[in-house]
Amino acid sequence: MPLFVKVRSFLRNLFLSRRVEVDLDEEVRSHLEMLIEENIRAGMSPKEAQRAARIELGGIEQVKAQVREERIGNWLHSVLSDCRYGVRQLRKNPGFTAVAILSLALGIGANTVIFSLIDTLMLRRLPVRNPGELVELLHKYPGEPHSNGFSLQTYQLMRQRNDVFSGLLAAAYQSLHVRGEGLEPQIVNSGLVEGSFFSTLGLNPTIGRLIGPDDDHAGQPSPVAVLSWTFWKGRFNLDPSILGKEIIVDGVTVTIVGVTPRNFSGLQVEASQDLWLPLAMEPVIIPSGPGRRWVALVGRLKPGVSMEQARAEMAVLYESTLDEDARTTGNPYIRKFKFEMEPAGAGLSFLREDFAKPLLALMAIVGLLLLIACANVASMLLARGAAREHEMAVRATLGAGRFRLVRQVLTESLLLSVAGSLLGIVLAYLGSGLLVRIILAARRVGPPLEFHVHTDAGVVLFTTAVTLLTALLFGLLPALRALRPVVAPSLRQASGSSETGSRRFFGKCLVAAQVALSLVLLSAAMQFIRHLSNLEDLDLGFQRDQLLLVSLDPQHSGLEGEQLSRAYRELLAPLEAIPGVRSVSLCGATPISGAGANRAVTVAGYEPKPGEIRNVAENWVAPKYFETLGTPLLAGRDFDLRDQGRPRVAIINQTMARYYFADRSPIGRTVSFDGDDQRYEIIGVVGDSKLYDIREPNHRIIYFNMFQEPSPCSRFVLRTNIGPATVTPQVLQTVHSVLKTVAVKRVTTMADQVDETIVPERLIALLSGWFGTLGAVLAAIGLYGLLAYTVARRINEIGIRIALGATRGNVTRMVLRDALGTVCAGLAIGVPIAFWGKRFAASLIADLPVASAAPILFGSVGMIALALLAAYVPARRAACVDPMVALRYE
Amino acid sequence: MKSKPTTLLQGTLDLLILKSLVAGEMHGLGISRRIQQITGGTFVVKPGSLFPALHRMEEEGWISSFWGESENNRRAKYYRLTKAGRKQLEVETKRWGRISWAIAEALEAS
Repeated sequence: MPLFVKVRSFLRNLFLSRRVEVDLDEEVRSHLEMLIEENIRAGMSPKEAQRAARIELGGIEQVKAQVREERIGNWLHSVLSDCRYGVRQLRKNPGFTAVAILSLALGIGANTVIFSLIDTLMLRRLPVRNPGELVELLHKYPGEPHSNGFSLQTYQLMRQRNDVFSGLLAAAYQSLHVRGEGLEPQIVNSGLVEGSFFSTLGLNPTIGRLIGPDDDHAGQPSPVAVLSWTFWKGRFNLDPSILGKEIIVDGVTVTIVGVTPRNFSGLQVEASQDLWLPLAMEPVIIPSGPGRRWVALVGRLKPGVSMEQARAEMAVLYESTLDEDARTTGNPYIRKFKFEMEPAGAGLSFLREDFAKPLLALMAIVGLLLLIACANVASMLLARGAAREHEMAVRATLGAGRFRLVRQVLTESLLLSVAGSLLGIVLAYLGSGLLVRIILAARRVGPPLEFHVHTDAGVVLFTTAVTLLTALLFGLLPALRALRPVVAPSLRQASGSSETGSRRFFGKCLVAAQVALSLVLLSAAMQFIRHLSNLEDLDLGFQRDQLLLVSLDPQHSGLEGEQLSRAYRELLAPLEAIPGVRSVSLCGATPISGAGANRAVTVAGYEPKPGEIRNVAENWVAPKYFETLGTPLLAGRDFDLRDQGRPRVAIINQTMARYYFADRSPIGRTVSFDGDDQRYEIIGVVGDSKLYDIREPNHRIIYFNMFQEPSPCSRFVLRTNIGPATVTPQVLQTVHSVLKTVAVKRVTTMADQVDETIVPERLIALLSGWFGTLGAVLAAIGLYGLLAYTVARRINEIGIRIALGATRGNVTRMVLRDALGTVCAGLAIGVPIAFWGKRFAASLIADLPVASAAPILFGSVGMIALALLAAYVPARRAACVDPMVALRYE
Repeated sequence: MKSKPTTLLQGTLDLLILKSLVAGEMHGLGISRRIQQITGGTFVVKPGSLFPALHRMEEEGWISSFWGESENNRRAKYYRLTKAGRKQLEVETKRWGRISWAIAEALEAS
C-alpha cells in the first residue's frame, strides 16, 4: 500500500526526525568510506583516495541537505522550524510580545463578540427548507415598536386572498403547564400552530409524525402534541416508546405523536418551543383566553416573487382588513396601523429591531479598534525589524533565500495573531455573557427571553479570517522590508546608526494612522455618551430618582373589592411613617413600565372632527400620587380620600387641557367614555409627564381616583429621602405585617425602570467608551514606542547637539515637536473621517446629537494630551543624554 | 575513448535505479556503479542526486531499505524493489519507450 507507506514516512519524518537524521548520517558516511576503500583498491594512496572520494561525494552536509529537501512533509518541517524560531524570538522580547498579543487579543476579541451577537440575531439561518424565502409579517402603530400579532380573521383573509405566498404560517406562543406519567409538572414554552406549519417549513419528524392539516380542524381538533428533540432527550431520554403516550397540558389530555428535527427549536431567536399543538386546540386549552386571538405570521414567498412585490400586495390586503376592523370595532385609530414585512430567514427576533443598528455601529467601532491594534503592532514590528536587520543580514549572507526570510517574518506575525486570537476568544467568551445580560435587561412586555451566543461555523470562520487578515495587515510591511537588499551595510555597521529615514517615516505614518482612527473612535464614543446622558437628563415630568416601586399581588389573598381598597388605605399611613419615606401613593400603571390603557373620550362642549382619534390615555391613582412622583399640580386640587362615595372626579394633564379647552379653565367640566355610563368632573390639571416611553411626545392623559372605583390597583409608589434600597426591607416588612396574605410581586426603582428602556443606548455608549479609550491608549503606546526607539537611535546625534551647546530644553522641545508633528498629522487625517463617521452614526442611531463639533474637538485635545504624556519619558531620556557617554558609544 | 557523462533526464534516474535493483538488493554505491555499468559509463550518478532519489522512492513505497553488511564487512544500507516498485518499473519502462520512440521519430522527420 503506497499510501500507507507515504503516511508512515510522513509521520516518521515528523515525529522520529532525530532517528531519521542519524540514519541518514550513517548512510552517507558509510558511502564515503566505501568510496575510499574502492579508490584504495584501485591503487590510490590513502590520502589521495580520501580526497577523490570527498570530491565524488561532494560534501556530507550538502548531500544530507539535498535528501532533506526531497522528504515528504519537508514543508511542514520547515514551517515548524520557522514557528520554533519565531516562538524563541517572541520569548526573547516578553514586553513587546505581551503588548502585541494583548492589543491583538482585545481587537480580535471585540470583533468576535460583536460579530457573534450579530450572527445570532441577524445572520444565522433557520434549519428549515429554503429559509431565504421566509418573510415575517408585521404591523406598526405610529410611535410604537412593530409587532407580529394578527387576529385570526386577518390571518384567514390574508391566507385566502394573497397570490404571493406558497404558504402562510400562523402560530400562537404560550407557556403551558404540562404534567404526565413519569413527567414532573412544569411550565413549557409551547407553540400552537396551524396545520400547514411544519410542511411549509419543510421539516421532517425525528420519529413519529408532525402536526398536519388533519389535526387542525376548527371545532374538532385532534388532541395531539409534538415534542422538541431537546425536550425528548431531556425528559424522556430519547425513548422512542413515548409515541402514543398521553400528557396533560393545562388540564387537557393530549397524545404525543412525534418529535421535531434535532436542531429545530422554533422560529424565534430568543425563545425556544418544546411543545407543539394544533392551533385549533387553543380554545380547548385556554378557554378563558382573550376573545380575539392573536397569531404570529410568517410567509413563504412563491419562487420568483420579490420582497417588494409581496410587500406591496400584502399592504393592500392588510388595509382592506383594517377597514373591516375599524368598522366592526368602531375604532377609527385602527386605520393608522401600517403594514411591514421583513426577511425571516434568520428567525423572528424581539431584539433585532432595537439592537440591529446599534450592533452595526459597534461592528464599525470594533473594526476600527482592530485597525488601530494592527497599526500598533506593525509599528512595533517595524522598530524591532531595525534591531534585527543585522540578524537578517547574517542569515541572508549564509544563503537564506529572500522569500525564506519573508516567510520567517510572516510566520512570526501569524504566531502573534494566532496567540492574540486565542486570548481574544477567551475574552469574547467572557464578554458575550456580559453583553447578553445587558441586552436582556431591556424592558419587554411578555415572557422573559433566553438568548445564547453559540459559537457556530460562521463565528469560527469569521474569527479565523480576521486573524489571518490581521497577521497580513500588520505583518506585511515589516515582511516586505526583509526583502530589501540590506546585506553589506548592515553587516559592516554591527549596530546603531544604520537608521533609515524611510523606516522612521513609515513608523510615523503608522502612529499618525492610529491617532486618526483613535480620534474617530473617541469622538464617536463621546457622541454616544452624550446621547445617553441627554436621555438620562430628559425631563420626564416626574422625578425619577429616589422613587421606590412595589407591586403587590392580591390574587390569592382572599381580599378583593372594597375590602382590599380599605386594606390598602390602611397601609398608606404606616408606610409613610417609615423613616426616609416622604410620601406614598398607589397607581394602576407606573410610568415607563410599558403598560397603560386608553379609551375614547367625550368631552362636554367639544365637538370632535370626523375621523379624529378620540382616545386618551388613562390611569388610576390614589391621593398624593402627583406629589409622590414630583409632577406639579397646575390648577384645581388633588384627589382626596373623602372623594369616596361622591360623584366621580378626574384630573387631566396639561396637554389634554390645552387640546380640549385651549386657554379656558377645564375645572368643573365633565367628560364621559364610550361603554361607561359614569360622568367624571375635572377637578385639577397636572403637568405633562411621560407615560409609556421617555422619547414619546406628550400624550393626553386623564387620571381617576382609584378609591372611587370598585377595586383598587396594586402598584405602590414611595418617594424617599434616601436611597430607595435602604428603606426596602422595612417597606416589605410593613407590607407583610399589615397585609399578611398579600404577596409582593415586584420591587424596583423608577430609575431602574427608566434605565431598562435605554439599554441599546447604554450598550453602545458603554462599549464605544471602552473601545475609544482602548484605541487612544494603544495609539499612545504606539507613539511612546516610536519616540523611545527614535531617541535611542539618535542618541549619538543628540549627544553631539548637546556637546555643541544645545540646552536640555532644546532637546526636550525637539522630541516633543516630533511627537506633536506626528499627532497633528494624524488629527488632520482623522478630523474629516470623524465628521463623516458622525453622519454615519446618526444614520444608525435615531436622535443622535450631531450638530455639535464638541466631541471632535474634545477628542483632538484628548489625543494631544495623551501624546504629550507618551512623549514625556522619551523626551526626558533625550534631555538626560550625557554627551561624553553618547559620543563614546560608537 | 570513454564517452562523456550526460546529464540525466527528469524521471530517468528513477527508471535506472529501479532497473538496477531488479538484479537484487544493493547499497547506494552498488546502485551507482551498476548504473554506470549498464549504461556503458554514459551516466555517472553522484551521491548528491542518488541519495535524494533513493529516499524519495523509499517514501513513495517503490523500494525498501534495511541495514546489512557490505562485501568488506562494513555496515551499509541496502535497498530492494517492492511490489509497487516492480509495477512502477513497468510504468516507467513503457513511458520511456514512448518518449524514446517520439524523440527518434522527431529526429528522423525532415
